[in-house]
Amino acid sequence: MIINASNLVKRYKDPDDKSKSFNAVDGISLSIGAGEIYGILGPNGAGKTTTLEMLEGLKDIDEGSAFINTIDVKQDPYKVKEIIGVQLQANEFFDNMNLVELLRLFTALYNKTNDPVNLLKKVNLVEKAKANTNELSGGQKQRFSIACALVNDPLILFLDEPTTGLDPQAKRSLWDLILDLNKSGMTIVLTTHNMEEAEHLCHRIAIMDYGKLIAEDSPNNLILKHAPNKVREPVQGNMEDVFIALTGHGLRD
Amino acid sequence: MFRSPRLYLTKVFIQIFLRNRQYIFFSLLLPIVILGIVGLNDGESNPIEIGLVDNSSSVISDNFKTKLSTNHLFNIIESDEETLRKDLIKGDLMLILVIPEDMESHDQTTNIKLLVDKSQIQFIESIKPVLNQALLNIEREITKEDAMFDLTIEDVKSRSQNYLDFLLPGIMAFMLMNLSIAGSGFNVVEFRRKGILKRLFVTPIKPIDFVSAIVVARMIIVLGQLTAIFGFALLILDAHIIGSIMHLYLVIIIGILMFLTLGFSIGSLAKTQESVGILASIFIYPQLVMSGVFFPLETLPEYIQPIAKILPLTLVADAMRSIASDGLTLFQTYLDLVGIGIWAVIGTLVSTKLFVWKEVAG
Repeated sequence: MIINASNLVKRYKDPDDKSKSFNAVDGISLSIGAGEIYGILGPNGAGKTTTLEMLEGLKDIDEGSAFINTIDVKQDPYKVKEIIGVQLQANEFFDNMNLVELLRLFTALYNKTNDPVNLLKKVNLVEKAKANTNELSGGQKQRFSIACALVNDPLILFLDEPTTGLDPQAKRSLWDLILDLNKSGMTIVLTTHNMEEAEHLCHRIAIMDYGKLIAEDSPNNLILKHAPNKVREPVQGNMEDVFIALTGHGLRD
Repeated sequence: MFRSPRLYLTKVFIQIFLRNRQYIFFSLLLPIVILGIVGLNDGESNPIEIGLVDNSSSVISDNFKTKLSTNHLFNIIESDEETLRKDLIKGDLMLILVIPEDMESHDQTTNIKLLVDKSQIQFIESIKPVLNQALLNIEREITKEDAMFDLTIEDVKSRSQNYLDFLLPGIMAFMLMNLSIAGSGFNVVEFRRKGILKRLFVTPIKPIDFVSAIVVARMIIVLGQLTAIFGFALLILDAHIIGSIMHLYLVIIIGILMFLTLGFSIGSLAKTQESVGILASIFIYPQLVMSGVFFPLETLPEYIQPIAKILPLTLVADAMRSIASDGLTLFQTYLDLVGIGIWAVIGTLVSTKLFVWKEVAG
């Protein structure tokens, strides 16, 4: 297992009553194998992002432990950061810098070298090499954000709601990118609100609510276990398939 | 070159700044305009326009007129009362002197009438002694009495310094404060708000890498800005610096460091871009009034003076003026330097205490 976390707890002060505290993450244990695409599903405020950020070494772990590729996150957060790639929900960058310059900066922060044009090729943004991030569309920004997460050739890629707010074309293109990266051997951990995305991409899914993990299994097993009797429409697609069929698969940005 | 993460980040911060042409332009415009106004005026106050109506046309009134017009404080315009009154109302004249017909008669006190605009009453109070003196001199000449006292004013420092040279170190200190505060506090809040800080800390750089990169970058930028303003004052306005330029720059470097730490404290205290602006104003403007940069410290109420003397800007301005205008060495300004050092320690403690890096990341 490349990620091993047990009983992770993140405690915050109650905003209404400062003397009380609540657990935003309340005893989460996860084991994720190398090469897996692992999805964390849950409503807003369930603790998905906080869980990711504890694994990434961005937030202190209040209780429990986490090991990434056998490195203790609590002990060596900087060593962990060297082998992971992270895409955050907010993806603002410095103004006045183009994509190539930003990629060079992020590569330099790892004290490594990596060809920025190659990275842009991976995410299909070569023609935007000299553009600033504020000239990119939502989908392009997300793809660029992933390129930034790839500068250190990470073993594990963390994606926090990568497709939220994207149109169907951009979303599907991002799914293809994620599947490609996974095919090359990268372990991917992502959070999402989108059930279809979880089902389409993830080998295993964890469902979180109120800081706790309430279910974990492959999409198929989860359906068999929790919604076995619901008959699936066999022939028809859904509205999104209609939209894609009518507007085509080509990316619009 | 610039392969280490810290150096690369420093380079990027400088690059980002240099690309912000608008900021560069406006950051230099204000001090250049202030210095330009002072420098081109050369510290000479404009002569006061005085209207004069001579109803006497006597030897004594002529004598009086000559005495007044030799005083470079005044510009005498002679005309009839009607015309001059109109000019006074328009605001072209400060006051009108009316010499009565009976100026020559010795047996009674001649009453010279002053027509004034009451809104200028304070100005007039300060002119009255000069007029009195002129009258007294004439009286003595006539009565052949020697004056018992005479007052000569001599500049004990007696060097070729003008108002600009006095103002320059203060303005430089003020600019140094503005640029350093804007460069640290605002940056941190902006980077935090946009999530850029969090994005940086996804990578294995440490908070100290980030802080030292931004400090070094800002130091280089502010030094560049100040050098440009200095160059303008020295080359275009012909200002003078008495002491060692190197010592002056050492004070500037220490001053920038202090204001950067204080700026980081403001940035850490402020949660939003709006509040950082207000906090910075609260920090900057009282110091502008109380630091002796534009107004002498002695004009402040007595209970404020002890506080005014230990303000960061007062210390930097005083050290800079001691070197630039009084020709002291760096070591002779040690009291100021100790004060600056104490403020820098306070700034470092407050900013490290308040700026929780993990919370920035979250």
